[in-house]
Amino acid sequence: MIEAKGVSLRYRDGTLALKDVNLEVSPGELVYITGPSGSGKTSLLKLLMGMEYPTSGSLSVLGQAMTKDDPRKIRKLRRLIGPVFQEFKLIKGRSAMENVLMGMRFLGISPKQMKENARNALIRVGLEHKMLSRVENLSWGEAQRVAIARAVARKPLLILADEPTGNLDHDNALNILDLLTSFKDKNTTVIITTHATHLIEGQSDATFVKVREGNISVERRAKFSEKCFV
Amino acid sequence: MKNVLYNLGYFLKEAKKIIQLNLLSNIFSFLGTGLILFMLAMVVCGWSIGNRLVEMLQKEAEINAYFQEGTDEQDALKLVETIKNIEGVSDAVLIDEAEAFRRMEEVLGEEAYILDLFEDNPFEAYIEVRIHLDDIDTILEEVKNLDGIDYVRDNREVLDRIQSITEGLKYLGYLIFAAVGITTLVIVSHMIRQGIYNNRDQINTLRLLGAPNSFIGFPFVLVGMLLTLGGGILSAVLIVVLINMGYGQMSGTLPFIPLPPRDELISGLLILIMSTSIILGLAGSLFGLSSIKNTGNNGQ
Repeated sequence: MIEAKGVSLRYRDGTLALKDVNLEVSPGELVYITGPSGSGKTSLLKLLMGMEYPTSGSLSVLGQAMTKDDPRKIRKLRRLIGPVFQEFKLIKGRSAMENVLMGMRFLGISPKQMKENARNALIRVGLEHKMLSRVENLSWGEAQRVAIARAVARKPLLILADEPTGNLDHDNALNILDLLTSFKDKNTTVIITTHATHLIEGQSDATFVKVREGNISVERRAKFSEKCFV
Repeated sequence: MKNVLYNLGYFLKEAKKIIQLNLLSNIFSFLGTGLILFMLAMVVCGWSIGNRLVEMLQKEAEINAYFQEGTDEQDALKLVETIKNIEGVSDAVLIDEAEAFRRMEEVLGEEAYILDLFEDNPFEAYIEVRIHLDDIDTILEEVKNLDGIDYVRDNREVLDRIQSITEGLKYLGYLIFAAVGITTLVIVSHMIRQGIYNNRDQINTLRLLGAPNSFIGFPFVLVGMLLTLGGGILSAVLIVVLINMGYGQMSGTLPFIPLPPRDELISGLLILIMSTSIILGLAGSLFGLSSIKNTGNNGQ
């Protein structure tokens, strides 16, 4: 699903965001990317989204080599990904339903199926009563749920959530993490970045990618807290 | 194509939102485009009427050959036959003094009483020669050189002047057409760029979700088309009103100007205006859309 070999990312201003990253993620995995602010978590996610490209090394996501050569292929790849952005990137002036529909309109899905997917996704995130509310009238947590609904309604192979627990209190943060991890299945990989490591400390059956100053270490925890280090 | 059909309602709603987001500018663009297209329609209308006039005059092209003194009727009739045989002459008729007088009475109409001031008929007999305008030079030369012909009068100057005015109108039409094209392209593409700028966040989000440029750009193309189509309809209404008024006026005061059939002129102009507005709307939108590539920094 994801294969990074010796990937480095240096921004135009010279900042080295990631150094020699090696990572393999299989279909159906749950991956937490942790680390303090500015450690390179978002940079890693940007690489996976095709918002940035490796300055060295090779990276492939869902079988697609992440290079600048063919932007159309990257655009096609993004249709297989369900992104939940840190700042949500919802479209103002539209309802929650319209925002969720917006993520599917160019996927060749029939209007009936789109509406069904959107409805189901909004029910799943607990917003059945706010489907027609404009997103600017929703609370922070509700808006985040709309963003999650938009990501999952597309039935993606990969869900990428950037700091979904930021700005949330402990209970709401746990609820959001539970919601996101519930979408993991044998076909769908879920990758979540967070700096709130205390929220995932007891978590098992997941891969933990720790990012520190651009370097990563990977820890895989099997079910029942069985640990193995890579 | 499937995506377009599935999302037609969405595209129309988006186009409406884009227009509403910058309503005043869009209204002025619509009015501006309408007036520019109206100007084009007026010039084409003038050109069409001028062309018609020249065509009619060319069909009616004739020269008058006047006799030398002492030419009797028999000689005159022989000359008529000789002239009929010249290449490019379609007909030749002898107009005697009485017929010449009658014709002048017709031309003068109510003013014909001035002819009563003459004691005798002041008009002389002549040969009216209908010709093909293209052969005018050779015919003039041959007729002038015939024995018994004193001089030849032609209406070439008038024809040449009308023809040059029509030519001028044609070139003015080309110029206005180019001006209309460039101005409309600039207006529409500017409005599209403005719309793209106003919606840059949405465009960026759609790109991150994997939307193709064709999907993102479609509502903007629709906006461009709606603006110019609206302008086209406005100019069509104005030109139809103007033609109807003009025909009403001219048929009363200038009945001798051969106007093209009204319906034919209107339908021709409507086709021109609407097709021009659609083409310019499409071209302007696509031109404006080129700026979409530079929108946002995450949108490869």
